[in-house]
Amino acid sequence: MEEEFYQKYKKLGRGSWGKEFLLIKGMYNGMLNLMKSQDQFIEPMETILKIFLSIGKARKEGRSIIMHPFNYGPELFHTMNLQPLMQELFSVGLAPFHMNEPYLDFSNNVGYGDNPTLCNASRPLIGAFLQGAAPVPDLLFFLSTPCNSLSINYQVFESLTGVPTYNMDIPYWACEQDSEFYDETIMDYIITQSKEFIEWLEKETNQKFNIEKFQQTMLRLNEARGYIMEFNELLKTIPCPAPSMTGFWNWFFMTNIGGTADAVEVTKYTRDKTAEMVKEGIGAVEDEKIRIGWPYTHVFFEGPNLFNWLEETYNAVTIMDILGYYQVRPQNITNLEECYESLAKGTLEYSMIGSCRGPVEYYIDYCLDYVRDYKLDCIIFPMQYACKHAYAMARITSEIVREETGIPALIFGCDPYDSREVPSEAIRGKISEFIEQVVL
Amino acid sequence: MTILEKFYQSIPLENPWIESWKKEGKKVLGTFCSYIPDEIIYAADILPIRIRAKGCAETPMGDAYLTQTACSFTRCCLEMANRKQYNFLDGMISCNSCDQIRRLFDNIRFKAPPPFHHFLSVPGNVNETTIDWFKHELTKFKETLEENFSVDISDNKLRDAIKIYNKSRTLLKELYMLRKNTAPPISGTDMMNILLTNVSIPKEQFNELLSQQLQEIDGKEGISDYKARIMLAGSMLDDPDYVKIIEELGGLVVTDAYCLGPRYFWDNVDETKNPMDALANYYMSRVSCPRMAGRQSNRVEHIVDLIKEFNVDGVILQRMKFCALWWGEIFIIRKKLKELNIPFLDLEREYVMSGVGAMKTRVQGFMEVLEAR
Repeated sequence: MEEEFYQKYKKLGRGSWGKEFLLIKGMYNGMLNLMKSQDQFIEPMETILKIFLSIGKARKEGRSIIMHPFNYGPELFHTMNLQPLMQELFSVGLAPFHMNEPYLDFSNNVGYGDNPTLCNASRPLIGAFLQGAAPVPDLLFFLSTPCNSLSINYQVFESLTGVPTYNMDIPYWACEQDSEFYDETIMDYIITQSKEFIEWLEKETNQKFNIEKFQQTMLRLNEARGYIMEFNELLKTIPCPAPSMTGFWNWFFMTNIGGTADAVEVTKYTRDKTAEMVKEGIGAVEDEKIRIGWPYTHVFFEGPNLFNWLEETYNAVTIMDILGYYQVRPQNITNLEECYESLAKGTLEYSMIGSCRGPVEYYIDYCLDYVRDYKLDCIIFPMQYACKHAYAMARITSEIVREETGIPALIFGCDPYDSREVPSEAIRGKISEFIEQVVL
Repeated sequence: MTILEKFYQSIPLENPWIESWKKEGKKVLGTFCSYIPDEIIYAADILPIRIRAKGCAETPMGDAYLTQTACSFTRCCLEMANRKQYNFLDGMISCNSCDQIRRLFDNIRFKAPPPFHHFLSVPGNVNETTIDWFKHELTKFKETLEENFSVDISDNKLRDAIKIYNKSRTLLKELYMLRKNTAPPISGTDMMNILLTNVSIPKEQFNELLSQQLQEIDGKEGISDYKARIMLAGSMLDDPDYVKIIEELGGLVVTDAYCLGPRYFWDNVDETKNPMDALANYYMSRVSCPRMAGRQSNRVEHIVDLIKEFNVDGVILQRMKFCALWWGEIFIIRKKLKELNIPFLDLEREYVMSGVGAMKTRVQGFMEVLEAR
């Protein structure tokens, strides 16, 4: 990163963000420092910084803040000029700097769960809030899926803060007609709930939903989805043209700025850069030897370090984690109803929602497609102890993946948010053993 | 044999009533959650029973597939299924009660598939749209039962089933009302046996037994030699021995808030409505479990109301280890109880009774606190 660029953003981050945004400011500065040594993919990095700045400025600019989970796109919020605040910033965003750990400890001390029971993607928010270090949003929104931890965490936060809250039910069934789990009413059900949610937002924010702006947002969303689909296709190339964390950032952008011009720009940039690599026949990892599937989140407290270590030590590229596996295709949106359909489809197929909201077959199919489409050599399930719904699918899935594709799988438990549970060395030890004794 | 002793016969998973039912060539379906309307199954002349895992001693299969951080109830169930201990069932019905039940069902389907299975997608919140969806789910469920078991579930049969189930609810509530007395006629341990029988035998026979029980206790002297009136609230609990420990230490459990208790029967299904509408409304709108978003304050109020109505001295909050929903819920209940200055004890437990010594020590300490007030 050029010094001038660094100084520009250092300056932009200066000054008071207010007590409630101190942690967001900490993340901003942490990200800026992490990026200092980076000389590639600068544009996406800049977009990340802008997202943090935008949250920090929301109050001053008079925008209401809506807190939402990691598995829902913010299109409606941007349409209504609301500032989305992804709840998991307090875990995913703080973990690489170990700044979430004091809040986990505080949650333990006040009796709000423990690690194997309640997911640490959610708990730091409660700890931070109780210590006055988390902003109280103007509105809360969450889904009934993919997990109980998320649902109960929002309920507890709602109870503690009294913030107006909306919940959307996400059913178990599939919207694809060729699925054995198909239900013909599911799309209408989500569309109806989405429209009710819009009515609720109108009421709570005292504004009229702007249909034109919504359609424009959905067009932009479609465009960004298109670039991500092209990027996903490019990742099938051998050698893999993008570094291991790239897909994850696509998810991050779609979850924070999906539907905006910035999201279009940044996803196009990533697609273009990746296409250039393919054209030139260059792999992101020198002399690529192993292609790893990672059908769960990455280990957040590691930041990019674990994937970097895999790349450097074993010439192993991790194609993308479960969040980066964003598979919402662009839809035909020539009229308003199709926009709602596209919104509903995105809700049902969002990263981790599509694969985890229903029967285990959704997850198995996702893993099988992943292995076959991306020509994987092995699959690593770094399961979070508290993630009951996912952890309880890993064994069956690994057996079926082995049976049907012949590739080996490693399952291990850890806490992606807390380096003290299973430390880096132990994680690396398990992976090394697997790669050296089974994969190679 | 006293009536109470008859209730005790329903404790094993396979009980004499089920044996008689099966001898008539009739089917039995196991269910995993109180959000599954038993009335629809009963209207098909099939006996619905609540699946339990009594007698499970170790869980290697559950540990391997569900992992050791899944709750011990689900691990025990997978173990029992794998050991063919549910083979007397003609099928299993599950729903997305919680993540662990949802994945238990997946693992059972793959590793020990029952002859018939069905899943209900129960909405995670309550409003007109989600109630409509649930009705759609119930209709699919009814049609699946009809097709699979070659039965006709007419509206009249549904109405009859609703009536019989409402009768159970009314009788149970009647018995609960008597527990408000200074000298309640029944212990919490015996009540737990009755609640288990309620979900383990045909409803007509249950209603008959419970009517006899109510007659038997009518006018009799109740229990007065207790130290404190206790409410038991929290995760799914189906072990009378757990309640017995509390009562042996001087507490008398006079009411409760868990899924086999008042939440299951406090109100009746509307008999005047279209039966599927009535069932969808009832199951969605009753006092919920923590899986239901947007209803937390309603659930806490329900507990506070019961505390007042039953003149409770202290609350024992029990939660199954690794249950995310109940940990979050209890965090909020505790806050409310503190505000109201109501003493409580927070106990973590496993499905299979363990750590009895530690539990006794804590309950004993709690009784002393209550006595000193």
